[in-house]
Amino acid sequence: MVSQLINANPVVYEIKDRPARVRQPAEEDEYGADPIDQQEIFDILSTVVVVRRLNHIRDIKDPEHPYTLEELKVVSEDAIDVDDKQSHVRVTFTPTVEHCSMATLIGLSIRVKLMRSLPSRFKVDIRVAPGTHATEDAVNKQLNDKERVAAALENPNLVDMVEGCLSKTYL
Amino acid sequence: MEVEGEVELKELCRLEGHTDRVWSLAWNPAAGGDGVPAVLASCSGDKTVRIWRQNLAADSWDCTAVLDETHTRTVRSCAWSPSGRLLATASFDATTAIWENVGDDFECVSTLEGHENEVKSVSWNASGSLLATCSRDKSVWIWEVQSDGSEYDCVSVLQGHTQDVKMVQWHPVSDVLVSVSYDNSIKVWAEDGDIDDWRCVQTLEESSGGHTSTVWALSFNSNGDKMATCSDDLTLKIWDTSGSFQIIDDGHSPWRHICTLSGYHHRTLFSVDWSREGIIATGAADDAIRLFVEDKHSPIDRPSYKMILKKEKAHEMDVNAVRWNPKDPRLLASASDDGSIKIWQCSC
Amino acid sequence: MSEKFSPALRLADLNDFIAPSQGCIVSLQGGKTKQERVENAGSKPPQTDPVKISLKDCLACSGCITSAETVMLEKQSLDEFLSQINSEKAVIVSLSPQSRASLAAYFNLSPSQVFRKLTTFLKGMGVKAVFDTSCSRDISLIESCNEFISRYKQNHVNDGREHGSSIPMLSSACPGWICYAEKTLGSYILPYISSVKSPQQAMGAAIKHHICEKMGIRPESIYHVTVMPCYDKKLEAARDDFVFSVDHDGEGRLTPAELRIPEVDSVLTSGEILDLIQSSSVDFESLAEAPLDKLLTNVDEEGCLFGVNGGSGGYAETVFRHAAKKLFGKELPGPLDFRILRNADLQELTLEVEGEVVLRFALCYGFRNLQNIVRKIKIRKCDYHFIEIMACPSGCLNGGGQLKPKTGQTVKEAIQSLQVLYMQDVAVADPFDNPIVKGLYDEWLRFPGSETAKKYMHTGYHPVLKSVSSNLQSW
Repeated sequence: MVSQLINANPVVYEIKDRPARVRQPAEEDEYGADPIDQQEIFDILSTVVVVRRLNHIRDIKDPEHPYTLEELKVVSEDAIDVDDKQSHVRVTFTPTVEHCSMATLIGLSIRVKLMRSLPSRFKVDIRVAPGTHATEDAVNKQLNDKERVAAALENPNLVDMVEGCLSKTYL
Repeated sequence: MEVEGEVELKELCRLEGHTDRVWSLAWNPAAGGDGVPAVLASCSGDKTVRIWRQNLAADSWDCTAVLDETHTRTVRSCAWSPSGRLLATASFDATTAIWENVGDDFECVSTLEGHENEVKSVSWNASGSLLATCSRDKSVWIWEVQSDGSEYDCVSVLQGHTQDVKMVQWHPVSDVLVSVSYDNSIKVWAEDGDIDDWRCVQTLEESSGGHTSTVWALSFNSNGDKMATCSDDLTLKIWDTSGSFQIIDDGHSPWRHICTLSGYHHRTLFSVDWSREGIIATGAADDAIRLFVEDKHSPIDRPSYKMILKKEKAHEMDVNAVRWNPKDPRLLASASDDGSIKIWQCSC
Repeated sequence: MSEKFSPALRLADLNDFIAPSQGCIVSLQGGKTKQERVENAGSKPPQTDPVKISLKDCLACSGCITSAETVMLEKQSLDEFLSQINSEKAVIVSLSPQSRASLAAYFNLSPSQVFRKLTTFLKGMGVKAVFDTSCSRDISLIESCNEFISRYKQNHVNDGREHGSSIPMLSSACPGWICYAEKTLGSYILPYISSVKSPQQAMGAAIKHHICEKMGIRPESIYHVTVMPCYDKKLEAARDDFVFSVDHDGEGRLTPAELRIPEVDSVLTSGEILDLIQSSSVDFESLAEAPLDKLLTNVDEEGCLFGVNGGSGGYAETVFRHAAKKLFGKELPGPLDFRILRNADLQELTLEVEGEVVLRFALCYGFRNLQNIVRKIKIRKCDYHFIEIMACPSGCLNGGGQLKPKTGQTVKEAIQSLQVLYMQDVAVADPFDNPIVKGLYDEWLRFPGSETAKKYMHTGYHPVLKSVSSNLQSW
């Protein structure tokens, strides 16, 4: 029962320079000529913030730097599989600590981000990288149960936390 | 049923109105057939229930009522009482509402509270005297209808599942209840006079030929000697209680697994419905509707089922519910994440 | 482990899916560790100190009550009991009559025989005294009678003109029910719940606030263990309301937080006592029968046990008789006419005066019956004056801490035999006639409902609000 519930002192990685790509709004892309690829999904997800919300739990008045999923290497480009023809995306993420209680929140934020960014034809599967989380199967099952996700997204407190992870600007 | 020639599923109508995903459907059992318009209830993530009535003259469907202002969150499931007078709706707001159909209006006559969190499913027994509900709180509740249907007493709180209970369904003939769960199991519940309460009389899990992931739904055939269950494990399973000479405690004849249909679905199966004529329809997360029948000419020496139709792109998104009309067994309704409901005519 | 708790608790709060190490973030709320800034990342060791989650933290949180045995067993276990016996503390055990009956059924002995043999056994281990919670229960009952009379009168004064929350009065002895009411039902139900402490806590208060002083022992030198038919009682003992600080130096300074003293240090179940007996090499049946500790035990001069009827404490029956006498001048000498309603766990008791029902009482056991009662209270359609509520079907004799039925015996048969055995060699006696209790009022509590009685024998209830963290861990 040691409180290694979050990664108090995460390793932060340097962000790789890469050309910015600007994508047109989702509707125009539906079955469009410009297929969605790995890098685009990565670009969508790379700005999702985690640590800021951990601090929210820890101490609401404690202003801290937000870390993005990219900075923490929670999501990397090669852990994203895209099949545009089949309208299928699979994201495999790596929680920062084995016992990280935030794994479901991170997963939920990833799901919401993709739900908002991708055309509705896409089916999204989200998984914890094998061997990186103590209750991997349970986390995977919950994140891919759309009924549980739908109910979670009607809970104002959870939505608040997810929105915090998704807001790009930081005070 | 015997299937001769080509099977077709023809889209008759697309019902628009819900502003979020449509989760579930229920045909009013007292309406439809013999020149009487059929009535369908649908419920949605938009927190409302809509009532649709067939317009025979115009060959269309009209939304005759929108039931809102009672549930504060997603309405996950709805069920008509056998008489068609009452509609029960289960919501993520942890309540179950009972609506009385008065003319064209629906009045909320009772709200059943008690579940800790999201209520996932509601079902009336064959006589309309009992109501079952289930929830993410892992419990199944049985309520007894008092007098005129506006008062309900809780007669049992059943705590056998270890996870979220996804659906409850009463047997079409006897007072036996079946529940399916996120814990991968199917449980059969019956009243036990000895303890003056209900209890679990059978659990069907992986070791009994059952599912290996969340069981989302179940449906009985018309006489109730078979049931079909569908799951996140991408299979449809058929269970049988006839021909079973072994009687486990107090007269309950157990269910046994007779058939698994795998390889047909590639994403989660959310809904299954068994028509009066024996056609099993499934709705799945791959946007398709599939139809299955028992294969009477199977060369193998045990019950087997075959797919007779796969309707690709039945909807633009996941198919959450498929329901055969009880009076016109060729009429099928489906509901989807895309916010639409479709009415189909099955011909074969 | 969760199946040992009462049904109400299982539905509401137990969460054995999330292990504490993974799911519980309760400890983080108090943490003040600064997060390293990006530029310093990796250069300093983490500053987080390990934080332990105690049962008390769990009770304060609106999230799960974790059923992880590590949490529960830490403070209230047989191992802890044995280590306390070998410490310098004086260990006192208070035995509940329901546990006594359960053990009696197991050993084919009478309740009195079990009590005496268990006294021999425990004292042989080093326990200083073995008391009887039927004795402290008589205080709870007297206080309940007094509270009911004043609620009834208050309600009568209001005469329905203003909606008071005095009637129905709901019994408070069942911790599963209290926990459910606080966590799930919330503020609408709490005013109806009797403020009287349960027999377990009444015993704790009597021992740590009064008896120890009388005997010249500091309360912190006493380790008080109760033996109960119920796991939920462990949660009750851990409630903050039942922990106090003592004034050590007489100058009004409070002791440090770690010297806060619980009225009841530990609760062991009937089953755990059987484990204790079986893990020793003692042949329990052939043990000598020791004299009982008369200080806080319902035993008369001839050595005969006495107490009230009713396997769940006899609250409805005792309050009913008292109210009939006090309010309507009716003595009810014979057995009361409990009428079974929907099922055996829902029974009704009425008193008519001139063709009009003036008292309407109910026994309401088990979660399903409880649900119907609370729903009726919520919509103000409940016409009972008093309801004895227990979370377990069949009440306390069927508590989650009781011994399993014998092989070949159904649960129903086991309960029936326990109900008979419960009063086998116990004389029925009016709590108001209890000489020990009279003595405690004379020398300490003064009179029922007095300020002193309110201070030591009554408690309060607090609605638990849903926290953000509980949302995060369960969706």
